[in-house]
Amino acid sequence: MTLRGAGGRLALALPIGALVALGLLAAALAVICVASLATGSYPLRLAEVAAALAGAAPDEAATTVVREFRLPRVLVGLVAGALLGVSGAVLQIVTRNPLTDPSLVGVSQGASLAVVTLIVAMPGADAALRPVAAFAAGLAVAAVIQSIAARRTEGATMRFILTGIGVAAFIAALTTALLTYGAMQDALAAIGWLSGSLHAVGWGEAKALTLSALALAPVAAWAARPLAALRLGPEVAIGLGVRVRPARVALITLSTACAAAAVAAVGPIGFVGLVAPHLARRIARAGVGLHLALAAATGVLLVSSADLAGRAAFAPVQIPAGIVTAALGAPIFALLILRPRRR
Amino acid sequence: MGDFIEARRPASAMPAGVAGNRTPRLRVRGLSAGYGGRTVLHDVDFDAAPGRVTVLVGPNGCGKSTLLKAMARVLRPSAGEVLLDGASLHDLPTRRVARALALLPQGPTPPEGLTARELVAQGRFPHQTLFRQWSAEDARAVDEAMRAADVAKFADRPIAALSGGERQRCWIAMVLAQETELLLLDEPTTFLDLKGQIDVMRLLRRIARTEGRTLVAVLHELNLAAAFADEIVMMRDGRVRAAGAPEDVMTPPVLHDVFGLDAQMLRDPETGRPICVPRTGPETPA
Amino acid sequence: MTRTGARAPIGVALVFAAMLPAFALHVSIGATAIPLATVAEAFAAYDPTAFDHVVIREHRAPRALFAATVGAALAVAGALMQGVTRNPLADPGLLGLLAGAAFAVSLAVGAFDLLDPAWTPAVAAGGALAGAALVGSIAAAAPGGATPITLILAGAAVTAFLGALTTLALLLDEATFQALRVWLTGSLSAGDRDVFLRALPWFGAGFVVAFALARQVTALALGEEAAIGVGVQVLRLRAFTLLAVVALTAAAVAVAGPVGFVGLVVPHAARLLFGSDYRRIVPGSAALGGLGLLLIDVAARRALAPIEISTGIVTALIGAPVFVWLIRARL
Repeated sequence: MTLRGAGGRLALALPIGALVALGLLAAALAVICVASLATGSYPLRLAEVAAALAGAAPDEAATTVVREFRLPRVLVGLVAGALLGVSGAVLQIVTRNPLTDPSLVGVSQGASLAVVTLIVAMPGADAALRPVAAFAAGLAVAAVIQSIAARRTEGATMRFILTGIGVAAFIAALTTALLTYGAMQDALAAIGWLSGSLHAVGWGEAKALTLSALALAPVAAWAARPLAALRLGPEVAIGLGVRVRPARVALITLSTACAAAAVAAVGPIGFVGLVAPHLARRIARAGVGLHLALAAATGVLLVSSADLAGRAAFAPVQIPAGIVTAALGAPIFALLILRPRRR
Repeated sequence: MGDFIEARRPASAMPAGVAGNRTPRLRVRGLSAGYGGRTVLHDVDFDAAPGRVTVLVGPNGCGKSTLLKAMARVLRPSAGEVLLDGASLHDLPTRRVARALALLPQGPTPPEGLTARELVAQGRFPHQTLFRQWSAEDARAVDEAMRAADVAKFADRPIAALSGGERQRCWIAMVLAQETELLLLDEPTTFLDLKGQIDVMRLLRRIARTEGRTLVAVLHELNLAAAFADEIVMMRDGRVRAAGAPEDVMTPPVLHDVFGLDAQMLRDPETGRPICVPRTGPETPA
Repeated sequence: MTRTGARAPIGVALVFAAMLPAFALHVSIGATAIPLATVAEAFAAYDPTAFDHVVIREHRAPRALFAATVGAALAVAGALMQGVTRNPLADPGLLGLLAGAAFAVSLAVGAFDLLDPAWTPAVAAGGALAGAALVGSIAAAAPGGATPITLILAGAAVTAFLGALTTLALLLDEATFQALRVWLTGSLSAGDRDVFLRALPWFGAGFVVAFALARQVTALALGEEAAIGVGVQVLRLRAFTLLAVVALTAAAVAVAGPVGFVGLVVPHAARLLFGSDYRRIVPGSAALGGLGLLLIDVAARRALAPIEISTGIVTALIGAPVFVWLIRARL
């Protein structure tokens, strides 16, 4: 379906199937969010959740639990999932490699290292610095991988990911080395954070993350067009009138910014950026713009349900969402390796 | 067979009748270019003959693809310039260039799951904006391009499911949908079987004839060039060694000079086009 | 025979000889430096009442011995893998063996309270074998077969998966976390004499098989068909090298935890120094691996003293850039 108006100046393509899929994803999300608000060490019935949200709960504790602990957690899960989904989708199209993921090529690890450094080396630092440091470090990693991998054009996509695996190992070693400074309790907490957990988030993280996401959303909307041309390959994109080099830099920066914002809030939740775009493609065929939206929605679904599952599966022990996504995402990664690649 | 399909000419194209008299829109002057400090092209001059099929040939590493890439602004020249309507191509806004000049690179790979129509629609990119994504004009151009390239019958099939020749015709339809007067094609027949090669070359010739567009293609296969080109440009060691109509440049001395090939020339009895037959020497008994 | 080839035995011998001063250095350095004379004395004329002698005999010398043995084992395992899979990027860590062994041990300790050192090497071997099998079969089933690229991607997938499960096991059981926290980063400080003694037969078997197979690995490294042509039974060779690699890796993991990248880097160094014949590369890797890990462990103990970094972290910091360089140079 096509929507045209304003004397031909406005003409938008609207694939019905993808929009329906997006609606269904949103509905599934609503269910998970409600379940998430009700689940925990202080279980609540749906009526109680509703009452607490409305501020009319008879039970003071229920209001506190829902509004101060679970609501920001649900919100952070939503936004972080969307950012990770978009980050992976953008990176996969720019590198033309369906196996790419910010957590696989070291971008997330770089962001984590920056955050761990802030925590360990500058304990008094403002938490608002974390997204900035994470972004700078993630960007540095992306630049390093690009410059190492892009020397030769042939096979550059595979070199990108293999180089990323090496860089990720290096950074992970640095992070682990930093952790040897920490005391036992700090180490436990840090390992939880490094596994990607929504356990400790509050309204501070929720607000910072939402602001970052609002700032990045228009950039992602802009990105759909150059991505549509770039997915056909750099030379075709040049022929179609894309300034490929600046566009690539801008798009990788966007992908890194999305991943870094999410990592700064919830730690490196792995494989979401890898899996979400693939699931999105399975769910509905769509142009690049809607594909980004679908990948965001799928990412949200993955992170939110991973968080919910991690909380419910071994209660009272909370399993970080990142452990759940890695345990599910790594086999999917293996399946993707097995898929036939066309030349 | 489909050679006389009526297609609307792109707005920028002039009537086919005066094609031969037009001034070239794309000129190359004193061009040198290469990869990472290694110069492959040396001081090349070249004009794209308007409304005609020009084919660049030469031995491997002669610089024919490099010349095409420099004309398509994939490569930045180290000296000299490429002129589009008299202005330096590499300084023009890239989107404006994309409305005048289309490029089909060698062996392009489509992203997974894309259908033929979606691929062709991508050719409208330089005519679209964030808020003007799919105008009636876009729909018309895509339909016409698919009709011209004879790919309408598998419009909704995934590109990956098509044969090599069909896939390549879809890519050609994509650059057609771009509605540029100039089309640059880098080895459009590689990876195709013989039938696929002939189909693609007939399509390209038809595009030049019926739509008055200007085509410049790099080809590997000498006889394919001789059979379909209006102009042949022979290159060697990064320089143009001969240029002209096939019957003028396809001569034993030129072939010997450019390819180091000892060949005799025959003529296609139907078209009168030259055919190059390399001498294989006498068979010696074992 | 090339000049490198002719001189190689002397070179290997020299590297083995260099392990002695490295060993002495390793032992003499520590929280308090002990003079080399005292080190010699502790072995020549052991005095159980002298504090320094006890420290050397009970703590430092065993650790140095662990370092040399683990380094040699991982390096030889890497060399065999690189030769048999004809893959310059093969390494017990990259191809999932370390993750498999680490997960198996974590599971055994966490879920079954299996803390008896007698079992550690066997459990680690089972895990390493499973990890290798998983990576190998994923890569083999991938389009294009088991190329260096598919092997590394499959290794990354398996390592991430088993890593998540290992973390899960630790989070579910804080006692396990306490017990394995340092060991899991690949640390010689966690080395236990009982475990080492139990691992010795595994080390021994692995080294014997590796040295015995070296000649055939050289033939296989030239290509499978060429190897069959000169009479190598390829399938049998592959099976035996796999067993040797698993035994060496499992013994090393049992002692020191997952120490990565030794098996990747050392064989390349050995190849640079001693040529392409595995009869030189295998002993050369053993010597260089032992020497290398001794020196790296010295660095790990002293670089940020009094804090000690895990050996596995230092090897990753050195090995990961080499890995990236190998990708640039060899792929």
